[in-house]
Amino acid sequence: MKPERSGSALGLCYIQADAGSTGVWVRADTKEKEMNTRRIIWMAVLALSMVVTACAKKAPKTSDVNANPVATPAPATDVNPQARPANVDTTEVNPLNDPDLARLNDYLLKQGLLGDVFFDFDRADLRDDARERLSKNADWLRSHPEFEVTLEGHCDERGTNEYNLALGARRSGSARDYITSLGVANARIRSISYGEERPQCTSSTESCWGMNRRAHFVVTGRTNLG
Amino acid sequence: MMHSRSIRAAGAVLIAAASWVAQAEQQQPGNPTPPSGAPVSPPASAPQGGGAATGTTITIVMPDGSTRAQIVLAVPPLANLAALQGTAGTAARTVDQTLRRDLDKSGIFRLQEAEELAVLSLTGDLGHDADQYRSLGAEMLLQNEIKQDGDRLVIEGRLIDLASRQPIVGKRYRGTFDLARRIAHTFADEIILYLTGKRGVALTSIAFSSDRDGEKEIYLMDYDGYDQRRITGHRSISMSPAWSPTGDVLSYVSYFGGDGPAIYLADILSGRKSPVITSGSLNSSPTFSRDGRRIAFARLIGANIEIFICRRDGSELRQLTSSPGIDTNPAWSPNGNEIAFTSSRSGSVQIYVVDAEGTNLRRVTFEGDYNDGAAWSPDGTRIAFASRTQQNRFDLSLVDLVTLATQRLTSGGGSNESPAFSPDGRRIAFSSTRAGGVQIFVMDARLGSEAEQLTFEGANRAPDWSGYLP
Repeated sequence: MKPERSGSALGLCYIQADAGSTGVWVRADTKEKEMNTRRIIWMAVLALSMVVTACAKKAPKTSDVNANPVATPAPATDVNPQARPANVDTTEVNPLNDPDLARLNDYLLKQGLLGDVFFDFDRADLRDDARERLSKNADWLRSHPEFEVTLEGHCDERGTNEYNLALGARRSGSARDYITSLGVANARIRSISYGEERPQCTSSTESCWGMNRRAHFVVTGRTNLG
Repeated sequence: MMHSRSIRAAGAVLIAAASWVAQAEQQQPGNPTPPSGAPVSPPASAPQGGGAATGTTITIVMPDGSTRAQIVLAVPPLANLAALQGTAGTAARTVDQTLRRDLDKSGIFRLQEAEELAVLSLTGDLGHDADQYRSLGAEMLLQNEIKQDGDRLVIEGRLIDLASRQPIVGKRYRGTFDLARRIAHTFADEIILYLTGKRGVALTSIAFSSDRDGEKEIYLMDYDGYDQRRITGHRSISMSPAWSPTGDVLSYVSYFGGDGPAIYLADILSGRKSPVITSGSLNSSPTFSRDGRRIAFARLIGANIEIFICRRDGSELRQLTSSPGIDTNPAWSPNGNEIAFTSSRSGSVQIYVVDAEGTNLRRVTFEGDYNDGAAWSPDGTRIAFASRTQQNRFDLSLVDLVTLATQRLTSGGGSNESPAFSPDGRRIAFSSTRAGGVQIFVMDARLGSEAEQLTFEGANRAPDWSGYLP
């Protein structure tokens, strides 16, 4: 578990290195470049701090227990599983502290948190069930001010690609407007439309289309409060 | 260097003076056309299906309003093909096949080939043979001779008017073997230019999006589906390619920057990509102005999606439309003065036209509740678009911008979307689910029939046909 965690923090460093090369590539205007550069530096600092944090957390623990029991197996004596060595601290790991955002989002999905909001065919206005869902999502976001989210707008395959891109933006916008009206800070929400380009269900059936007409929440960052 | 000479004889005046106008035609009943047999099958990788005109009788409208049938053109097999060995022989066959395909696809000719001509007793003497060809109804004869000159082919072709027995187009081309297709395309375009006053489109190219290599990327192919090649490698979502009128760059949309869809340019020759608009939200659906200097596109502003215009470097950004709801998918008119786009402002999704200055807005589609994908005919008189005919299906229609009369181009056979005119206005490329998946087809713009499938691998969408390339 621990090596995996520090590994993923390093992974973040690599990702930022890629973004850095993209940033050099995008040179439309100086203001934007400046913003990109600032963002990259900020992200690099963040990624670096994660590595440091992971390492910092790891160091004292290795003195308590062997981090890698496979490499150096314990002496082959019978161990009573009930008996815990007195010198091991048990810490409950909070999945919400997971620096791996993909794993964090998986966890939220399994817990039914920040669930999808669904729309009617060709529509971007909110149904009653959508408002209900968004209220819950807004509650959760208000009680977790440490997270930043991206609100993705999606469409089913019916309709043209171009128009669906716009419709997806309207769906994402409706959901965003509603949760900000419930007190979630606008600055914590980024909107993006994928139109029909990223369906979660790919068969041409009514049930599949219904699943694809959605606004989808993804935790994509942490605020300073985190 | 290619050397060319053309011989124009008085006997051809009647035909040479004609300029065919692409316009809606009815099929002529009771005048069936025999199928044109292809003497040599195309390579396995080649697109299948006949040319737009195969098996269809087309009447051609002259500028003075009179009509005539397709020109019956005899194209006998190449005489000296056996003398060419190896690469030279392959290249010669490529020239021959490509030329036949190009002429057939033009829709101007009905070809008479080996099978049909086999009944004739030909001597090689034009005085004698002309009557033989004419006995089968042929009006013209295409006589080609291909020779090898070191590492080059020399192609000498003559289009002969059989009534006067005079050559009306004569050309000689010389080029390396790898230029075989280009040589054939050049000759075909030359013949069509001579006969119709309008260049053929054999040297044009179609841009499209495809997920054949995994993620959705931008691709190019020749007008006949040959030489399909990927020109982006962003491994993200890249879509909506739009040609600059000069054919040097494509504008397109990609998500690869990480901040949602943004607009980029891809230089065709160098492959270099550069950003146009990367800030703001939902930058989508770029289209070039006729002079190639500006780009119109859709973007999110507040809660609305509106049409914007900027220079091709992203500067001088200004908003063109302003309405609650969605305004998207702009298409710049051929004369450069107008922009067609899709809007939900009336409650349903319809196509509108507005002056590039933002004035004189008018709605041009009224049937159905979802019309999108406006594509101007090159003469600017009509707009092709996709109209939703069932919940999950679109068909292509044409609207006349003066009368606002619409004409359905497709009916049934899957969902048909994203029309794009060829630069001569004779054909429309589009995407369709008719063969399973989503593939790109080309059909006759007048008949809306006889679609030829050009792509076969992955899901292929959003074709955009280049103008005449330099």
